[in-house]
Amino acid sequence: MTTTGPHPTTSAGDEHDVLLTVEGVKVHFPIKQGVIFDKTIGYVYAVDGVDLQIRKGETYGLVGESGCGKSTLGRAILNLEHPTEGRVVFDGVDIASLKGEELRRKRQDLQMVFQDPLSSLDPRQSVESLLVEGMKAHGLAKDAKQARPRLRELLHAVGLPSTALNKYPHEFSGGQRQRIGIARALSVDPKLIVADEPVSALDVSVQAQVINLLGDLQDEFGLTYLVIAHDLAVVRHISDRIGVMYLGSIVEEAAAPDLYAEPLHPYTRALLSAVPIPDPEIEDSREQILLTGDLPSPSNPPTGCRFHTRCPWRQKTRCDDERPQLRVVEIGGIPADHKVACHWAEQIHSGQLQPHEVEAVSVDPTSFAADAGDHGTIIAETPGRATQSGDPGRGL
Amino acid sequence: MTTTAYAARADTRSDAPLLSVRDLQVTFQRRGEEPFHAVDGVSFDVRPGQTVGLVGESGCGKSVTSLAIMGLLPRRGNRISGTVDFDGTDLLSLSDGQMRDRRGKDIAMVFQDPLSSLNPVVPVGIQVTEVLERHRGMNRKAAMPMAADLLKRVGIPDPDRRIKDYPHQMSGGMRQRALIAIALACAPRLLIADEPTTALDVTIQAQILALLKELVEDTGTALIMITHDLGVVAGLCDEVNVLYGGKIVERGPRHPIFRTPRHPYTNGLLGSIPRLDAAGERLTPIPGSVADNLPWDHACAFAPRCSQPIAVCTQTTPELETTGDRALRCHNPVEDPR
Repeated sequence: MTTTGPHPTTSAGDEHDVLLTVEGVKVHFPIKQGVIFDKTIGYVYAVDGVDLQIRKGETYGLVGESGCGKSTLGRAILNLEHPTEGRVVFDGVDIASLKGEELRRKRQDLQMVFQDPLSSLDPRQSVESLLVEGMKAHGLAKDAKQARPRLRELLHAVGLPSTALNKYPHEFSGGQRQRIGIARALSVDPKLIVADEPVSALDVSVQAQVINLLGDLQDEFGLTYLVIAHDLAVVRHISDRIGVMYLGSIVEEAAAPDLYAEPLHPYTRALLSAVPIPDPEIEDSREQILLTGDLPSPSNPPTGCRFHTRCPWRQKTRCDDERPQLRVVEIGGIPADHKVACHWAEQIHSGQLQPHEVEAVSVDPTSFAADAGDHGTIIAETPGRATQSGDPGRGL
Repeated sequence: MTTTAYAARADTRSDAPLLSVRDLQVTFQRRGEEPFHAVDGVSFDVRPGQTVGLVGESGCGKSVTSLAIMGLLPRRGNRISGTVDFDGTDLLSLSDGQMRDRRGKDIAMVFQDPLSSLNPVVPVGIQVTEVLERHRGMNRKAAMPMAADLLKRVGIPDPDRRIKDYPHQMSGGMRQRALIAIALACAPRLLIADEPTTALDVTIQAQILALLKELVEDTGTALIMITHDLGVVAGLCDEVNVLYGGKIVERGPRHPIFRTPRHPYTNGLLGSIPRLDAAGERLTPIPGSVADNLPWDHACAFAPRCSQPIAVCTQTTPELETTGDRALRCHNPVEDPR
């Protein structure tokens, strides 16, 4: 692109063909209270310092439970949510600093596929008009007539008949609607597609169709994906690399097979062991790491390691007061791109540290940390905007 | 303690069924529209201490089945037939008042979305004591310590304080625990759990499933588990019923049904789930969607989506045929699963 942002990329990304670099991104939502004047009384720390790189042509999976900030991070990458801090460098341009027309034009390269296909498609627009809208906005087509061949091509690519053009979203099933959503994202020839829970609202049999479709389209058009999902099995299936998020930061990052073969962070271990596997024999024999308690409120995150309140490997030192950074561990057999944010990863891996019982801490989802100096908990009227992210959805 | 619970469970399991559903039909009828058979001749048994799974995708009739058993379907606009025999009484023949005496006492239910099934303006503790007041004739003061005990038993930390909390002050997992506490208040003999973990995160889901498993083992309560998640079924249910288009298409104990699925739908479902323990091979989805179904009255509803249909599939309705502990509704069963 000819637009050059104020911050040309400085990271050594050329060797890997890096398409997107996220550096220290934070998204904090203010919690306001007051009758006449809104006073900021706290923050929801939805995303709190994330670094990641996505290479051209790969699928990066972002996985975590609801409220961990994965959807907010996805939105921040597209600048749908303006990052409080940090840089999002896409193809050499810092998107976080773009505004107005420049940003609008840049959006052609970054498209999004939403979770709920029904609420993200305008019910009063025909499929044709839905698909042409983006093309017109980016000057790829003057009118629907001119775009016709391209539209047929798009529908064919996502496996819909060309008769679909004159229909409206309500005339389609959930899986077909998601195909329309994908076709719309494809219509402007994007380089990166951010898919936020693309299959979680679909029935399992249809889910597999859409997962396969995403894979086929990637091969055909050379797309790069950022897939955000709570379902680890789905993420494992489609991703090349995976980042595991917990309370606003990435706790572990590795190539998909490595992560599942050798999870290093205690949270990843617990998460993987909690996923039910449709095989009674495995279910009967495997050991589960049951976490106690709930995810702490992102408006009042624990100090030190965010996971220490629920961690079965928590140690007396460091865990409570020192926030671990994402780092490469030196363990035999663990590749260099497997990073983990845990002080004790080596000792846990070698078995030197053993898990212990954890006392459940009750979490009040409405509590948040007040500003410095103001102790005590105030009950907010609304739990904050950030909690809307990534609900497990209906699954069916 | 657990050993005796296991022993008691093994004893009771051979007993006569506690709940026996026969030819249950639920038809939704709107004026000027074709009647819709949501549940179309479903029969199954639940023995004391047994966990029975009803599995299927949205629209297969699993939730409507449970609502019909509980007598929670509206009177207007639908027709219910068949029998639901609970310990010698046909629940479908009871009056509303008689049903109210049983609901929450003999049979209890845990719903999918705990926030919308708890009353937002009543503290959780009161919602637990309500059941005790209604069925046990206790007054609120006497019931309060019991409610705290129940909350403690389902793993809510600090129950004496939590008892005063309103639902919005609890997390999703905590609310689901509270809902389970309400369901267990009168030690029901049958618990129906309708997608109890679907709205929860995986780590919380694992906690709730472990809790349900433990409760079933300790109390000998029979459990009907309604879910779309075959993984949940694999770890929890003794017997699995797979539903499609309002009919049971396959039934069997959990080990054989996962090892050798005979119905193309069960087999297809297992092939379309991305698995955590398997490498990234291509999924084999079931083509089409439920909208393609044929009517059951002269065909197999699944035929248009089936991987191996034969001519007879679109001409006659397959019957549910039982062999040993397996039952199957298919003209052309799978010989070589996946």
